[in-house]
Amino acid sequence: MLIETAAYASRWRPVAPTAKALFALCGIGAAWIAHSPAVLAALAGLLALTALLIARVPLSTYAAMAIGPIGFLLLSCLAMLAGVDGQGHWGWHGASPELVARTALRSLSVLAALLGLVLTTPLPDLIHLLRRVRTPELLLDLMVLCYRMLFVLRQAWDDGVQAQRARLGYRGFAHAWRSMGLLAGQMAVQVWQRASALQMAADARGYSGALRFLPAVFPQARAQNLRAALAGALLLALAIGDRLS
Amino acid sequence: MNPVLALDAVDHVFAGGSAGLRGCTLSLERGMRHALLGANGAGKTTLLQHLNGLLRPSAGTLHRDGKPFDYSRAGLAELRRRVGLVFQNPDRQLFSAQVEEDVSFGPLNLGLDVITVRTRVAAALEAVGLQDHGGRAVHHLSFGQKKRVCIAGVLAMEPEVLLLDEPMAGLDAPMQQELAALLDRLSARGVTVLLSTHDVDFAYRWADRLHLMAQGRVIASGPAQQVARNDAALHAAGQRAPAALALHALLAERGVLASDLTPRSIDALLDALRTTQPEESIT
Repeated sequence: MLIETAAYASRWRPVAPTAKALFALCGIGAAWIAHSPAVLAALAGLLALTALLIARVPLSTYAAMAIGPIGFLLLSCLAMLAGVDGQGHWGWHGASPELVARTALRSLSVLAALLGLVLTTPLPDLIHLLRRVRTPELLLDLMVLCYRMLFVLRQAWDDGVQAQRARLGYRGFAHAWRSMGLLAGQMAVQVWQRASALQMAADARGYSGALRFLPAVFPQARAQNLRAALAGALLLALAIGDRLS
Repeated sequence: MNPVLALDAVDHVFAGGSAGLRGCTLSLERGMRHALLGANGAGKTTLLQHLNGLLRPSAGTLHRDGKPFDYSRAGLAELRRRVGLVFQNPDRQLFSAQVEEDVSFGPLNLGLDVITVRTRVAAALEAVGLQDHGGRAVHHLSFGQKKRVCIAGVLAMEPEVLLLDEPMAGLDAPMQQELAALLDRLSARGVTVLLSTHDVDFAYRWADRLHLMAQGRVIASGPAQQVARNDAALHAAGQRAPAALALHALLAERGVLASDLTPRSIDALLDALRTTQPEESIT
């Protein structure tokens, strides 16, 4: 929900998803190519600052989204430095700090590139993008339905919890577990009912086996793609220069 | 006049064995505003779903323009192009993430080209007053806005007949007025509108024809002024007499208003009272 809210509120919301994807792809490519920790850190910083300052993603949202992967990354770095060996003894693995730093910073750069894309592009735009790159229709139909149902079921779940809370359903640990179990069971019935209602609604509008929707239009896509390509080329030039030096 | 849609002694039995319709007969005249009144479980939704071909009768026949319904794949596609159905709960009808996308679903299913679809989507969104909301996420809309998106999704298919299942349910008074105005505009364009409702005052005020349902059949059908005076049928359908009609009858009985007036709403009654000069003051 946080990602979704940030994407809709982002200053880059009207920017063509192809441009944002191109920039993110260049960022990932540059992170892959760059070698020195300093350049990798600069790439991560540039990508993060672009999202925060230019696309205006709120810092709190960015931090909330980044903290999980960063925690995972830290654990992985620790595992590279120390751990259990084949004989079951704890000890240093002997990985050089530079290698660990390079791996961590490369991962951070890739993370920053991806966050820049997903925190500025609502899922419907990403689905359009996937449609343009010929992702199988069945997969996209599933994504569309899952995405919509996520919000419908979230609403149904919140309503259910509220109704249970109003009748003291969450008074104490045991009550809370029982209420949650009852609601989960009831949600299964709701899912089935809603699925059949959606089928009926689709049939009423001439559904014939494929979910067809109007593609979104981004009138300035060409210029935006060009700007994204230029910015991406700068990132790649920085990385290639680092690799060659 | 040849009715645009008609049911002739239609029965419908659900898979569980319960009867949805029992010998239901109804004719819908073209271009008119029709309201279907009945208590919960009277069969209103079942009837609407038959008219769109979502349900098939267990017995009896349905007709469009005098011809029996064709339930072949092509026949159903044609029927649904001409007869659009708006469901009661918008969250059960909208399945696309964006407003414009969802509205485009029906016209794209008709096989129209993208340019025509874009024109229709824009016109439909304008008709429901959501022309600035095309790019918004469906889950960010209010209940009333979602309901209007549902109507736009059907309007974009340019149906001859628009069926609405309890369209006023869950809407506040201003939204109800907006929706009634929209339905009036559609009716003025020649679209036949049939809506189901529990609100007898709204039905009497708005509709040209009233149809009362009870226990799976239409028990009274005809011009609104005529059906609204049929107390026995209204009672059987779980309805009371429209307030405007009951109040007018009382005022006419007391000599305050002429008995030949037919005010369709309390507002119309108040207007009539304002223009009437009091002959004597009542203390």
